[in-house]
Amino acid sequence: MREFFNQIIKPVQSLSGQGMSQVDAWFLQQRHRFTITGLSRSGKSMLFTSLMTILKYRSEEKYNCLPLLEALPIDLVEHMRLEPLPGYDFFPVDEHMQALARGEWPAPTEQAYGFKLIVRLRQTSTLKKYLMPYTDVVFEFIDYPGEWITDLPLLSKSFVQWSDSAWAQQASEPQKFYATEWHDFIEEFDFEQPPTREAVLAVVSQYRKYLQHAKENGISMLQPGSFLIDGSGFDWRSQGFAPLPSKVSSDVSHPWYKTFARHYEAFQKQWLQPLKDNTFRETDKQIILVDLFEGLNHSRQHLYQLKETLSHLAETFVYGNPNWFARHVLRQHKIGRVAFVATKTDLIPEAQKPNMLSLLKQVSEGAVAKFEGKPIEFEHFLVSAIKTTDAGSNDNALRYTNADGAYVEADFEALPAKLKDMEADAHYPVLAARVPKDHLPRMLNGRGLDRLLQFLLN
Amino acid sequence: MSADTSQRYRSKVTQRTINTVQPEADMPAKIEEDTAAIAVKKRGLSLGTSTLLLGGACAIGFGVFSAVESVLQRMDSYPVTASVLGTLLAGFVLCMLTLVGREVKGFMNVNRHMDRRLDYAALSESTDKRAILNALKSHASAFSSHSYAAHCYRTFSQAVNSDQDAQEVLSLYRRTVTQPVDKRAQELIRKESMTAGSLTFISPNHLIQTLMIVWISFRTIRRVAQVYGLRPGTFGNWQLFKILAQNIAAQSIFDLATDEVANQISGSLTARFMENSAEAVAVGALNVRLGKALVKLLH
Repeated sequence: MREFFNQIIKPVQSLSGQGMSQVDAWFLQQRHRFTITGLSRSGKSMLFTSLMTILKYRSEEKYNCLPLLEALPIDLVEHMRLEPLPGYDFFPVDEHMQALARGEWPAPTEQAYGFKLIVRLRQTSTLKKYLMPYTDVVFEFIDYPGEWITDLPLLSKSFVQWSDSAWAQQASEPQKFYATEWHDFIEEFDFEQPPTREAVLAVVSQYRKYLQHAKENGISMLQPGSFLIDGSGFDWRSQGFAPLPSKVSSDVSHPWYKTFARHYEAFQKQWLQPLKDNTFRETDKQIILVDLFEGLNHSRQHLYQLKETLSHLAETFVYGNPNWFARHVLRQHKIGRVAFVATKTDLIPEAQKPNMLSLLKQVSEGAVAKFEGKPIEFEHFLVSAIKTTDAGSNDNALRYTNADGAYVEADFEALPAKLKDMEADAHYPVLAARVPKDHLPRMLNGRGLDRLLQFLLN
Repeated sequence: MSADTSQRYRSKVTQRTINTVQPEADMPAKIEEDTAAIAVKKRGLSLGTSTLLLGGACAIGFGVFSAVESVLQRMDSYPVTASVLGTLLAGFVLCMLTLVGREVKGFMNVNRHMDRRLDYAALSESTDKRAILNALKSHASAFSSHSYAAHCYRTFSQAVNSDQDAQEVLSLYRRTVTQPVDKRAQELIRKESMTAGSLTFISPNHLIQTLMIVWISFRTIRRVAQVYGLRPGTFGNWQLFKILAQNIAAQSIFDLATDEVANQISGSLTARFMENSAEAVAVGALNVRLGKALVKLLH
């Protein structure tokens, strides 16, 4: 009899429990889904590590970090906790902190990680104190290799379209300079031979070599970026492809075309589409990280190339601002708030920050143009997840400890306020600052995160 | 940076090694949670202490008067001794006058504070961060060091960094100094008004009731002034005295009215209870009025 009763009551209890959790989630939780879109080396992992550490020390130890963050008043924070995000490995914050303690920067991300960061705020209103004693502000973050993001535009292109655009990019500067060896290889390659596994691997390996070389030299638009890291869920060795010269790609009956088009389709279906559905899913706020130093470190052409990359990336996301009903009942998720963030800004003097901000605005112009006619709020920010440098002897100087342990003063000539003002034969070498011994206080003194979170949470 | 890049492009950054070690960064300041203790730390004089001080002042006053009289009487007979004693006496009186002068100076602090009121409208339009920081610093220099306002200002100073612009600094000041201080003052006024109401409710006669109102009113002024960073006992403002006098007059009229109503109903305990309750509510409200006027002056 008891068992029979339990059989009836258990599903009811379970349903009631789920219902209560859902009601709690509706009334007691304020959920923010963030997608942090950043190219490779844009500082995503360091930003996550810093964000988690700063919020932890702010909530638990009451350190006066993030002073401009009004949306999470420090005196109302009861506690903060981290939870895993279903379907993802937990972000390795402890490993990253240990790496910093050893004097090493966090290793580049080679797989997707996720975590939920929940900040519980006390209620101040007398009546609400009894009805809704707290509010949980839930942040959901996903970290992934930046190489994957540049592949998303491939979903809307056929193999021939992609192949032609890849050749067009390689034919212009700055890519052209780094693609010489690859071009020579293709020129001499015999496409009359059958596309055996070995021959395909030879072409793909050579193309991958070009991608690696270009990446080392600050090129951001590298497709397919997933070929660059072995942690990607696609085997480039057996199903790889590369752009083909037009004499081959224009002939749909050509065996090489057939092979690469088949591999390209498999790449789209088996890897890219699931990646987009799972990793870049439901989100309402987007942080686009831009490492301007990748451009400044090399040349003006690199900055233009970065601008083009950002413009292409913006095409792959769904922007809009659904109302409460559409968001919560119809489950429509569109990005309604976008922050363009230049990272590692501790590597330029304070006096040059207005020019840096101006450059960021120009580099993101193409992406911003995609928001036209849509109710999207966007803003530009300069952020440093850790303050590795100190003020120099004048307004245009900085001091930092370099990789050899020497304390160096770097004097900057004025940064250009416009892309066109940057001299074609000049560059601003990025300061190779090593991890400071006092990395914890320098993380807690990071700049710009408060302004960024305030914009996204408001 | 690769060798390719350094060969192809001219560097716009010059670097040189310097013979110093990198300074260690400090952890950000912690937010002090026990802010209630700060207000308690520098509480004003208690009634007992005031009584003792008044007693002491009377004794000193009478003593000084007798001493002067005695010195003048003996000047003819003992000119040297009388002169030495006279000099000592003059020194003592001078010191006393200095102390009184300091009290008068403190007494005028409310007015001075009002003269130095922050011009938020002008500051809101400024883009000069340094000018705003100087204006805020100058304003905060009037805060006594252990006051709640000074504590809030310290929190603000620790949160200011080179990355913030002028308006962000001003907004930070509003959020970390102005708003918490106002909030604390409002809480205090509410508490003091409850006390005023409770004391009125239990007071046995009108004389004691009036004295209590006067005492609570002065205490409210002193405590609110303390929150805003003024020295204890500084309430030299005519507007506040006017409000205080109006409150006492209003309370007396209200007393007469409630007495009359109570007599009309009957002389029962219920009538007495009703009368005291009404008076307590009125006194509480009057105290809130006084507190709000003070906040308006100091804000």
